[in-house]
Amino acid sequence: MTLSKLSLRNACRQARDYLVYFVTVSMVTALMYAFNGLIFSEEIQTLSKMLRSMTLAIILASIVVVCVISWLVSYTTKFMLTRRSRELGTYILIGLENEQVARLFFLENVAVGALAMVLGMILGNLIFQALRAIVLAMFGMGYHFAFSFSLKTVGLTLIYFVLIYLSVQFRSRRRIRTMKIYDLIYFEKQNEEAVIKKSSSRRRISVVSIVLGVAGTVLILAGNLFFGIVGAGCIIAFLYGFFASFSSGVPAWFEKHNGKKYQGQNLLVFRALSAKLATMGVVMATIAMLFTAVLIAEGTGMTFRAMFCNRAKWLSCFDLVLSVEASVADMEYEECMDYIRENIPVLDAWQYPIYLGDTAEVTDYIGENTEYYPYYPRDTVMKASDYAALRRMLGYPEVTMEPGRTQDGQSAGQYIIHCQPYVGEVLKDWSRPVRMGEYTLTPGGIYTETFAQYLWGVNGNRFILVVPDEAAEGLAVSHNIYAAKTAEPVEESQYEAMEEILDQNVYSGSSFMYSALYLYVRSAEEAEVAVMTAMTVFPLFYLALVLIMTAATILTIQQLDETRRYRQQYGLLYKLGMDRREMMKALRTQVAIYYTMPAIPPVLIGVTFVLNLGGAVEPGTLTGASHPLVITGMALGLFFLIYGVYILLAYTGLKRNVLPETCSVSSVSGSAK
Amino acid sequence: MLQVRNIEKYYGSRNNVTKALDRVSFTVEDGEFMAIMGASGSGKTTLLNCISTIDTVSAGEILLDGENIAELPAGELARFRRERLGFVFQDFNLLDTLTVEENIGLALSLNHSDPHAVKNQVEKVASKLGIQDILGKFPYQVSGGQKQRAACARAIVAGQSLLLADEPTGALDSRASKNLLEIMTQMNRDMGTTILMVTHDAYSASYAKRILFLKDGRIFNELLRGERSRSVLYHEILDVLALLGGDLSDVI
Repeated sequence: MTLSKLSLRNACRQARDYLVYFVTVSMVTALMYAFNGLIFSEEIQTLSKMLRSMTLAIILASIVVVCVISWLVSYTTKFMLTRRSRELGTYILIGLENEQVARLFFLENVAVGALAMVLGMILGNLIFQALRAIVLAMFGMGYHFAFSFSLKTVGLTLIYFVLIYLSVQFRSRRRIRTMKIYDLIYFEKQNEEAVIKKSSSRRRISVVSIVLGVAGTVLILAGNLFFGIVGAGCIIAFLYGFFASFSSGVPAWFEKHNGKKYQGQNLLVFRALSAKLATMGVVMATIAMLFTAVLIAEGTGMTFRAMFCNRAKWLSCFDLVLSVEASVADMEYEECMDYIRENIPVLDAWQYPIYLGDTAEVTDYIGENTEYYPYYPRDTVMKASDYAALRRMLGYPEVTMEPGRTQDGQSAGQYIIHCQPYVGEVLKDWSRPVRMGEYTLTPGGIYTETFAQYLWGVNGNRFILVVPDEAAEGLAVSHNIYAAKTAEPVEESQYEAMEEILDQNVYSGSSFMYSALYLYVRSAEEAEVAVMTAMTVFPLFYLALVLIMTAATILTIQQLDETRRYRQQYGLLYKLGMDRREMMKALRTQVAIYYTMPAIPPVLIGVTFVLNLGGAVEPGTLTGASHPLVITGMALGLFFLIYGVYILLAYTGLKRNVLPETCSVSSVSGSAK
Repeated sequence: MLQVRNIEKYYGSRNNVTKALDRVSFTVEDGEFMAIMGASGSGKTTLLNCISTIDTVSAGEILLDGENIAELPAGELARFRRERLGFVFQDFNLLDTLTVEENIGLALSLNHSDPHAVKNQVEKVASKLGIQDILGKFPYQVSGGQKQRAACARAIVAGQSLLLADEPTGALDSRASKNLLEIMTQMNRDMGTTILMVTHDAYSASYAKRILFLKDGRIFNELLRGERSRSVLYHEILDVLALLGGDLSDVI
């Protein structure tokens, strides 16, 4: 049998024994391929010029992915080398040269890697289709399946892959070449060494690390950037300290609680766990860090996406809004209006002024009761007739309010507040009348439909008072608005043309912030949301998926590696008369604790972070399905969904191979004798 | 205490049947130390597995304290093993992750005995077997002989009535073997432990009070020690083994 044949056979075995690893490498390749596909897809890139910035973000994320996967491949290769050192030693024992064995191992790994890559690319095509569908949907375009094959995508994926694999394989090759036969054959006999040997120092470290963990959490919660960074440092120190010292804590704890030790399956479960952690404490801590990063990336991604979407939603209920401040000469405004009349098919439009009331009573009240940044010096006001026309245009149900009347020299009437829902909550108890010139108006209701009430130059900042037309006469005009519904979405080129008109006149020399002309186009806002999503959310989720799969794979490989030891253990327990039910319970607890431990600190840190991040976004943006709590829940859900798959794989694998079946035991013992 | 009546054990399919045990019958009295000898493949481990309920017999019955173990349901078997039987294996079979004390205590904790009393009970048995100093150590930190004594302690700590030993000296050097066999003799003599030991080592067997010889699944011969000295018995065992013939490389 030739060496390459042996390599291939070993490769098949490797793919089977380390199926989890193989699947993960394939999946990561698939993700890599899919995101590279986005970069090179002409269809996607022509959607918007702004999408070019996505390329950079994805390449940056890919670099991190390459590093993480290199770690996974390197870790697994080293792990396999250790587990199979006896086999490799046997090859040398029967006369193969070190060089040949190294090549054997190298070929085997390259074969497995290549297979994973090919499978990954095929799968990647499907994932790319999904991403394509998402991007097209974000730009409001229809999706239809179109098989795409891009040589550049394959090329870039191949480059990443070669980078990952070759560097690792060359290292292991060098290692085998310099290994001595004795070391290989007796590698298994060498006890793995614990990170911290002395148990007293371990205990001290465990105490210090827990203190650091608590301190770190408090610091991060303080909300200050400097404290936050120090806190993150503390948490990292806590993770490493905790996992490195955990294994000493168990015997010490058992020493003090002798009764607990022999209760139920405690002894088996915790001893096995501490033995495992004694050798992989550092890895465990790294995994916990990766998990933390996963939760933060997921939460941040979802928060960003919700923020972009909701901002656009509150802004763009009209297809096009052009507004100009009253104090500014409206030459440019007219020019832009001309362009609109000539080029954009308008279905319905309305031109109206926004007034400033006499006082800032409502503004102040909102400011006192919630987080609110006032943009206008006084409460903004709109005429009832304009309001009714806009409601008609938007298809909202008609609203009735008492008209203004003058009786006995007293002018009275009603006013309506139209605001964002979260402001509506604040104004629930608001019952004060407001004065507009001669008129004293009483509250006539609160409405919270989407109504372009975000940023400058629109229908007020988060709220507007709708008053009888008569009452608005004589108020100062803040700005004039032209709002329109168009027959078709405004095209990117049209938007750019209008921007240019405004640019050459008003924007020259002054910054956008202080300009007096505002143009909001729904299609452009949506495109921007899509671009921002593609730029931030895609890379974040890309990273999150890769990180969790990598971390869960390493945990699972380590757990499945215990199969032989567990089988021995449960075989013995069976003979000693342990119930099968109890064995299953013990195994379940063992697996559950093993997988829960590295997830607890990340969940605590991640949840705190995501909730805080949500709180930092301006109020009213993250509500309903994008409430920080919902986002946190979804981030956790996604995390545990993927993690759960790996846990399930490990548990079923162990259950099948570890627990003795009554009949199988008899046949095994029978055939052995 | 233990009655084995006409048990038979077959392996294999219809066309290719191997008879591992062929109408084997014997009785072990309370407080006996009995050895079962035979060459490789003679069926001694199969016999032990059947008695220990790890394997089932094809025919015949095994009664322990009058209870037919073949009739026990699967769930009862586990309870039966942990309450009545103690095991000592050739390769020690201690769990690496537990200390010696915990390995012994495991038998008690499986029996759901009071968790707080475990430590005391373990110490009591350990001091009788001379391993009280190594209780806090892990199996890889102690010698083979000590491991085997720990296994003996585990086999009797929960008050099991029958100790089943499968080649207990197989992995020990001669000094440790002698030591272990003396401990087992002491357990049998002073604590009244009933011992059934399977071995193919004549020296080990010479410590027993009665020796049963198996050949090809059948009882070939039986030796009683009676009032004879151990060395006389040893030579008689060698004589029987010579008669047995066949696979005797370990005797010659």
